[in-house]
Amino acid sequence: MLCAGIDAGSRAIKVVLLNADERQVIASGCADQGVHHDSLAMRLFEEVLERAGCRREGVSRIVATGYARNAVNVADTTVTEITCHACGVHHLVPDAMTVVEIGGQDSKLLRLNRDGVVFDFAMNDRCAAGTGRFLEMVAARLEVELQALGMLAAKSQKPAAISSMCAVFAETEIIGLLASGVSREDIAAGVQASIAARVASMAGRNLNPPVVFTGGVAMIPGMTKALEAALGQPVSVAPSPQMTGALGAALIASRQMAQKGSR
Amino acid sequence: MNDYPRRITLQEWDAHYVQLREAGMREPPYGGTLRRHVEEGDLRLRTLLFDNSSAALRLWNFLLTEEDRLREARTAGKKIVGTMKDLGTVPVMAYALPNVVAFYPDGAWWIPCVMELSEGLFGIADSLGIDEAFCPVRAMLGAFITEAHFPVPDLLICSAGATCDDFSAIAQRLNGLGYPIVWWEIPHRRIPDPDEERVELPGGFAAPASQVAFVREELERLRTVLEQFAGVPLNDGALSAGIARANEVRRLLAELRQLTFTAELCPLPALEMLIAEMLAIHFCSDQAETIEVLRELLREVRGRVEARQGVLEADAVRVFWVNPVADLQVMNLLEDCGGRICGTEYLFSHALDEIPENLPPMEALARMALADPMVGSAADRAARICADTRRFGAEAVLISRIPGASHCATEGIIIAEAVRSRLRIPVLEIEVPPLSDSIKPMLRTRLEALIETSKELRKTCCVPE
Repeated sequence: MLCAGIDAGSRAIKVVLLNADERQVIASGCADQGVHHDSLAMRLFEEVLERAGCRREGVSRIVATGYARNAVNVADTTVTEITCHACGVHHLVPDAMTVVEIGGQDSKLLRLNRDGVVFDFAMNDRCAAGTGRFLEMVAARLEVELQALGMLAAKSQKPAAISSMCAVFAETEIIGLLASGVSREDIAAGVQASIAARVASMAGRNLNPPVVFTGGVAMIPGMTKALEAALGQPVSVAPSPQMTGALGAALIASRQMAQKGSR
Repeated sequence: MNDYPRRITLQEWDAHYVQLREAGMREPPYGGTLRRHVEEGDLRLRTLLFDNSSAALRLWNFLLTEEDRLREARTAGKKIVGTMKDLGTVPVMAYALPNVVAFYPDGAWWIPCVMELSEGLFGIADSLGIDEAFCPVRAMLGAFITEAHFPVPDLLICSAGATCDDFSAIAQRLNGLGYPIVWWEIPHRRIPDPDEERVELPGGFAAPASQVAFVREELERLRTVLEQFAGVPLNDGALSAGIARANEVRRLLAELRQLTFTAELCPLPALEMLIAEMLAIHFCSDQAETIEVLRELLREVRGRVEARQGVLEADAVRVFWVNPVADLQVMNLLEDCGGRICGTEYLFSHALDEIPENLPPMEALARMALADPMVGSAADRAARICADTRRFGAEAVLISRIPGASHCATEGIIIAEAVRSRLRIPVLEIEVPPLSDSIKPMLRTRLEALIETSKELRKTCCVPE
């Protein structure tokens, strides 16, 4: 039986096609998000199906998640990204007790019980500071590719202090730092530290290890280190971190089919 | 004639109203359709879902006609006193006097939401130097200037000290604009030192006797002000009678809360409960009518509970809500996402507790004033929230922040930590501006996640130590 998960995020769409019987990923794909959420998701879904040699009719159930989940008409149901990321990470790293997910416009901290069920979570508020979008803005301001931001940060001698909790004001701070001669390396490292500090403030006290880092921002070099420093404990990155939401959605779809079958 | 309980749109209410009238529904003089309020500018009603009972219609109509009531009171020669930043103490004193109507100008903070920013009150506040760094209650400043939402009161009384910083700044600006205010001070409630005499307060708090005495003296000063204002003495007998009437409101609300929050099926939507609870602090400018409105609502709720009827799904997640929302639509949204309100703390929980009737009235009022959650520590507030969450059996706690409100900035974190550590249930903090339309998808995600998480936890008792 085939099931699919579609994670319609704010910056990218991710699709995972799952062999539900063997809980194995058959194919997956990722594409940029745009204005027409539904058609972009559908196009990617069809591409993934084609690559796997499958047809839409062969997919028993589709769960959509992510910021634009309600716009994905092909989905049978929707589940929030909180639940989906938890499910995806638990599948890949069964002993994970804390999940940090930083995506395009949200950052989240999920606390799991031993069954991988979320028992509490925190999310960033409305401000984009502490999200992937913020890093994109910083990369553009520092005139580097997003992926190169981590390499730049790694060369920092003295990370700059980015005090602002607001993305708009942080940008102003960065402009001021550049004008006062602070190196791009130190600014990049300061920005990573400030994002990690925001996540740590969401964590509060009593953070249960192991901590697993997932979401698109987990792929940016240097962020894991910054997170470890802010949380004061080791952090591992989930395999294919950008895909854990879609994977979780596909797993939930397969679980829903199993429940349907047992009724 | 009432249909099966459910939430209905404004459009559905139009038709339902006709049916209710044809079936013989009797209405008070302020009755009528909800639609007429939209025509008068309360645009937000177009997007809300309402309870479909005649009792709820009366509640809404009572709320939305307060301005008319105040203007009628003025025409009738009654004196109007605005009791500001006071959640339930001075109105009790004012309503103990004949020919005096007390109202709550702070309530203007909902006007920008209800009128969907069409009234320009924030713009006026901005122009007066009270910008969006302040709580939405700054809308009150604009309402004083335009005089379009309530008549300017004959007397303004406002508490200062350990209440809201934002409100103090806003009221001081108002005072500076030529609206003289009688100030009274409320100190920050503290735990008595071991060598101090300790006084127990409603709500399970305590304060040093010296603080209670200080507040009592402040209230005595206000008693003199009110006596001069009304031209009649405000003796202890009249005050005790006023306290008894206020307690009648509080008892009705206590029963309403107990029934609604603990019923197997939710008998009344969150929005109507919010409005009903707000009546405890200001009586919507008519204390006697408040009692009648609440009695009818309670009858409706009792009937629904006995008939095992509810307005929401049976498996709705029981959520304890902290702080009032700036956008009323978000109360609907929680229910749309599969939640129901089982317990609230809207910053005036002390006004829902009965005022002690076995004490001299000024002593009782002083103790009540000091039990205000806003004048104590965030830890005290968190303790009460945890106790009430447990009492009503809530499965999750939702803390709604008010943008710009100074007390919301840090209290939410303290409350969240207390709930997590003591109750081990999910906590969510959200920030709700007066119009949340643009962030509704984001709010929906958070609320849906809270509901999903709580429902998943029902299946497992495994919360890590």
